[in-house]
Amino acid sequence: MRVVVLTSSVYSETACAMCVNLAQTGYLPVGALALRSLNRKTLLRKVGQWGFSGAAGYARAKLIQSNGQSRVRNPYLELFLKNGSEVFRSLREVAAAHRFPIMTCANQNSAQTAAQLKKWSPDLIVFTGGNILRRPLLDVPRVGVLNAHLGLLPEVRGMSSPEWSILNDVPVGVTIHYIDEGIDSGPVLQQCELPGATDSESLDDLRNRLIAFGIERMADVVAALDRGTIFPRPQSDLDKDNQFFVMHERLQKLAAQRLRKERIYSLAGTVHG
Amino acid sequence: MTSPANHVAKRFAKVFAEAGGLLSHPLRVGPLLGKLASDGMRVSFEQRHLYSYAKTTRDSQETLNLLVRWILDAQCPDGGIAAYYSLLSGYSKAYPEVTGYIIPTLYDFAHASGDRVAIAAAQRATAWLLSLQMPSGTFPGGLQGSEGKPSVFNTGQILQGLVCAYSETKQSEILQSAILAGEWLIQQQRADGCWSGAGAYQNEVHTYYSMVAWALAQLSRCSGDDRYATAAERNITWVLSRFRPSGWIDGINLREHPNYLHFMAYILQGVLECAILRHRRDAMDAVAKSAWILLRKFETNKSLCGAYDEDFKHGRRFACLTGNAQMSCVWMRLFELSNDLRYLNAALKMNEMLKQLIPAKGSRGIVGGVSGSYPIWERYQPLRHISWGCKFVADALLTEDRLMRSLEAREVEAVPCAS
Repeated sequence: MRVVVLTSSVYSETACAMCVNLAQTGYLPVGALALRSLNRKTLLRKVGQWGFSGAAGYARAKLIQSNGQSRVRNPYLELFLKNGSEVFRSLREVAAAHRFPIMTCANQNSAQTAAQLKKWSPDLIVFTGGNILRRPLLDVPRVGVLNAHLGLLPEVRGMSSPEWSILNDVPVGVTIHYIDEGIDSGPVLQQCELPGATDSESLDDLRNRLIAFGIERMADVVAALDRGTIFPRPQSDLDKDNQFFVMHERLQKLAAQRLRKERIYSLAGTVHG
Repeated sequence: MTSPANHVAKRFAKVFAEAGGLLSHPLRVGPLLGKLASDGMRVSFEQRHLYSYAKTTRDSQETLNLLVRWILDAQCPDGGIAAYYSLLSGYSKAYPEVTGYIIPTLYDFAHASGDRVAIAAAQRATAWLLSLQMPSGTFPGGLQGSEGKPSVFNTGQILQGLVCAYSETKQSEILQSAILAGEWLIQQQRADGCWSGAGAYQNEVHTYYSMVAWALAQLSRCSGDDRYATAAERNITWVLSRFRPSGWIDGINLREHPNYLHFMAYILQGVLECAILRHRRDAMDAVAKSAWILLRKFETNKSLCGAYDEDFKHGRRFACLTGNAQMSCVWMRLFELSNDLRYLNAALKMNEMLKQLIPAKGSRGIVGGVSGSYPIWERYQPLRHISWGCKFVADALLTEDRLMRSLEAREVEAVPCAS
């Protein structure tokens, strides 16, 4: 199975961990394609996301590659990112260690990107972030493009899925599915609830755990596809509009409060048997 | 019927009159250039990203205070509230229609904040309106001192204010005035439920007169007379027949104007509020469908267009801030009805966007003002801060406050006690 990894940035911890885990499972990527980190659009996006100071910090981190900054932001990925006494800080380091090629592009949907990907003749593309994917890119791999969605489909499509799951009393979990032209509407390959989701200390903690869980599940699914033991099933309820959008901070606070509450219940349940 | 030449002449006359205002008050040049520059900069550097407006950057309470201060500053000593503050010519004359439907906002603000000044302002506004009512029950259209022909829409909007003022004060004089207005509206209504003829703007039928239906439904509730409710429902049934399967609503029918979001939102607000009062599920569903289409547009593009062609095509690339605030109100009401948090989420983001555009500093007429268009030089009420814009943004922030308090309280209540 020839696997290519698509990512939003060469500095994406998720992409690094995904590549390492795929390699360890016997599916060494034949290539990785990342969006350029320091282009104007990305910087403006970061300004919108984190404000000027956050974006400046982001740019600084990308420009000054200090060896002292070896902290892993998502502690649940540490296991994947360990590289001797150091940790992988970029996909370039992972690619060098595991010897697979890495390219960058400005737009994952461009004709040049599709042409580049075709050269790698992928059976599967594993998507870890970037643009909303369109054709012709979706037609490049022989089998399809996979995504680990941080929510259970079809109940929660779109953005801020863990937070929306909590507020809507939907179990928190991960869905591995094929990407089609809709938003998280492609056929589902595997769906798992996150064990002990209510033990999460915060929304960030929950999200970090889901990301790590998704990386583990993805390797399983790639292996199962290779063995021919897993089959996609189309999503039901496609007529129903289950798309969710980026959650406002005030609703996020409510979701965090609900998570704390569930944790208290869960702890109380443990204490009282 | 006005010819195109007449229309152009009218527009030129308007521009010259406003520019003349600048010549007589040259000190207005500073704020004008400041606003043009700030909107210009914002439009150039704005990044409409997924996370835009997902964080609270301005305090809602402070912004609400600024908005109400703007409204109070625009109130004349006799109680009438100016339609707008032009960056060229200053305050307009008082506008009966807006003075009427600002009354509920003033009372809501006073209840939320405990500010007695807003109540006094609402009482002055009510007294002024009572003095304008014609013997037939109607109220004059246009600004104070204009021709003042009887107007269905303006009478309906004023009726909203009167019903609210009566509910607050229980003064029989106000109820009598409201009933007189209601009777006139019923007399003018056609058998099919719409309003046309001399009392209708440009002698045309308009679907956004659903706002009049809402006022009649309110009057029915406070007077106990079902005839007003029947008239309201008749109009809503007529408006519903103009909803297309695409969610678009025909019949805004404004000659020489595009279909501004403000009027689309009027239709939705009027139908929805009337549907809530009259328990009309069909009307609620129709509004939810159209409002959802606009919500998806907002969430996907991070903005709504200031005007659309049929079936929401060819959106104009500017924002009609009043329409945005009204849509926020509609979404929040739909959240109350459906418990679907996506409506509230969109409204919170819309309110955030609106708050960021309200000047926190500046002279009277500028500070706390809501411009007709963003950027301010665009087509809807160019270079003006409009009083109905302040009203609808204030309504949106008041509703946000009410809903979030209730949601947060519900979440806290359910937390198990540590002991």
